Order: sequence, then C-alpha cells, then structure tokens
Amino acid sequence: MDKQDELLKEAEKLAKHMSLYQHDLAPAITSNIVCSKDAKEELLDECEAIWRQLEECQSKLTLLGTETLPDSGAQLSLLMMRVKALTAEYNQWQNLSPEVISTNSDVLVALGKEELQKVDHDLEMVLSTVQSKNKKLKEDITREQQWLDEQQQLVDALDVTHEEMKNQVVQFSEKRAFQELKSKMLKIRTYKEEILSALGAFLEEHFPLPEEDGNAKKKKKNPAEEPTVQLVTLHEILESLINKLMSTPHEPYLTISDSFWPPYVELLLRYGIALRHPEDPNRIRLEAFHQ
Amino acid sequence: MKYWDQLSEAYNRPLKGSLDKPLEKIIFIHLATSLPLPAERDHIRPRIDLIVFMINIQSKYSFKNVEASLSHMDAKFFLGKVCFLITGAGRVNHCSVEMNAVRKLGNLHCSPVIFCELDSEGIRLATAQRLLRILQICAGHVPGVSALFFSSLMKSSIDE
Repeated sequence: MDKQDELLKEAEKLAKHMSLYQHDLAPAITSNIVCSKDAKEELLDECEAIWRQLEECQSKLTLLGTETLPDSGAQLSLLMMRVKALTAEYNQWQNLSPEVISTNSDVLVALGKEELQKVDHDLEMVLSTVQSKNKKLKEDITREQQWLDEQQQLVDALDVTHEEMKNQVVQFSEKRAFQELKSKMLKIRTYKEEILSALGAFLEEHFPLPEEDGNAKKKKKNPAEEPTVQLVTLHEILESLINKLMSTPHEPYLTISDSFWPPYVELLLRYGIALRHPEDPNRIRLEAFHQ
Repeated sequence: MKYWDQLSEAYNRPLKGSLDKPLEKIIFIHLATSLPLPAERDHIRPRIDLIVFMINIQSKYSFKNVEASLSHMDAKFFLGKVCFLITGAGRVNHCSVEMNAVRKLGNLHCSPVIFCELDSEGIRLATAQRLLRILQICAGHVPGVSALFFSSLMKSSIDE
C-alpha cells in the first residue's frame, strides 16, 4: 500500500511540474524504491518463456518454406489466404483472455512511472507546439495590426484630400455647360463648312467636268447617239457618297448613274477612296475612313 | 539508385536521437534492385518484416522490374508485409506508366500504394516516417495491431 501511495505522490509532483508551463522537459522521476531481485528475476523468467515460444514459432515458420502466387487466379488465391489468416486472427482474439502484466507491485510501480514519464513527455511536446503556434499567431496579429494602421493612415490622408477638393469645386452650372456645348457645336459646324468649301475649291480647280467641245466632237462622230445626260462634278459625287455613308451606315452603297463620269468613278476606285459592291459592280460606297 | 539513398537517409533520420541506442541497431534497410535475393546468403539474412517496392512511374523499366520481382515473392508477404511506393507522379507530362496500372497492381496484390515526391525534403521525411510506422506494425511492435489487420484497415479506408 505504501508503494501505491508513493506512486500517487510522484504523480502529484509530476502534475504540479506540468502545470507550471515550463518549456524544459520534465525531470526524471527518481525514487527511493529499489526494485527487488525477486521482481527482476520474475520478469526475466517471463521474458525467457515468451522468447522460447517465439523461437518455436519462428522455427515452424522457417520449415514451412516459400509459396509463390500462381500465375492465373493470383488475386483469388491471395484473397482466400487473407480470409483464412483474418479468420485465424479473429479466433485468436476471441479465445484470448486479458492477462495482468504482473502481480508484482514493484514491477507495476516501475511501469506506472514509465507510463507517467511518457505522458509527461507527450504533454511537453504538445505544450511546446501550442506555444510556438501562439508565438506565430502573436506575430501575425502584430503584422495585421501594422497593416491596419497603415490602411487607416491612408484612409485619413484620402479623407483630407477629399475635403480639400470639395472646397475647391466650383458650383456646377447646367446653363453654362449648355452654352459651352452650343459654342463647341458652332465651332465644329464652321470648321466643317470651311473644310467642305476648301474641298470644293480644290476639286473645282483640279478635277473640272469634261469640256463641252469634247462632247461635240463625239457627237459629230456618232450622230445617231442620243444626247448625253448632264454629268455631275467629282465634288457632287463625293458629297453624295459621304451623305449616304453618314445617313445610312448600314446601307452605304450608291448606284452608279449615267451622270457619273466613268473616269472619275475609276479614279475613286483606283485610289481606294471608294469601294465597289462585292456582288453588284454598278454600286459603290465610300471607304469608311472615320472608323 | 539515388532515390533509394534519399529515402534511406530520410528514413533513418527519425531514428537518430528518438530511439534508445540499443533499439537503433534493430532496424536494417536492405536495398535490392530486383528479386529473388541470392540464396547463398539466406542463413545470415535477418527476418524481413516489410518489403517496399519502389516504382518510378517516369520509367517503364521500373514498373516491369517490379512486376517481374513480384512473381518470386513468398505469398505470405502479401498478408500485410508489402507496400508499393510510387515516385515521380508529380510531373504528369513525364509519366510513362499509367496511374491506373499502378493502382491495379496494388489492388491485385492486396497491398497499399503510397505516393511520394522525392524532390521535396518535407514529403520525403513524412513518407519515411509513414514507412517507419508501417514497419513497426509489421514487426509486431504495436500491441493489438497485426500487419494483416493494418493492411485490411488501409484497404477498407481506401475503398470507402
């Protein structure tokens, strides 16, 4: 009974030590108890008996010899072997009755100590793991806090800037904006007019209509030919192409009429200003330069 | 061969310092390129508790070699004392052996298949510790758990 009390005291001492949250390992449990010779001899006898049994089993196993798996139906034979082995193991466990390790109190005390030391060691490992985790979490918190402070500073700075800009903003006037848009439109219109008149002047100078006398000569050659239609200027052709493209962008093609002088049409096509319809050669459109 | 060396080195590391000195000498790692082992050394060969077949799935030769070696095995080893260690599965475009073939091999011999990337030291160490635990069970150092029971347990958990 004294030995059991002593073991309990040792356990209490160990528990106290573990509750202190020390990082170093628990000291070895020392005791005044000296294991008696009888206990040692008893254990050794038991071990020798078990060892003899093991040797017997081992010699039986070596006598069995090797047995390789058959080429066909290997899995089936292996599964059958497993079933047999598992059944044997199951029966063994069924027939096994729990045995007391030893009736000797000295042995039991020693085992108890060993078990306590194991538990202590395991708990110390758990403790160190938890402590390292805590340390890491603290570092994470510090880092996150720092990040939060930086973000807060950024928000404050942005708030200040926002306030400053608010004060600088002049009251927006719809009327003023409307007037500005109107003046812009007027400017654009005048610019457009200027461009169109410049284009007209340029075309009038460099691309005049074919001279009348040329037509007269033609007429003399072919008196049977009907009087030719009134030809339109290159400026008019371009203008009608532009209008068509702008008014109906989905259908920008224009049919070539007799009033279009063929050399001008050819000129527009050759220099990539106009494009012919892929299916109808009598229709042309302006190249979409604005896109 | 360097893969075996890497694994052996990682395998022995958990033993150093963690076990008592007398126990350290109990574990032997025998490396062999193929089976059967030479018969003339049978009388001095210690008991074999676990056989690990290492297959590099980037090499067809490795797989074929293991397949050939399996035919020389004593059938009793397949009752929980064999496992297949697959390496090189991380780089799928370099694989020469189908993963299905490897799983089929494990299934056919009722043995667990463990995957390990030997390029990573962390995975190497974890695999070594896993193998060490399996070895402890196979050698009978874990009370109440036999090699057969453990392999059945692993198989049932995979099937689920």
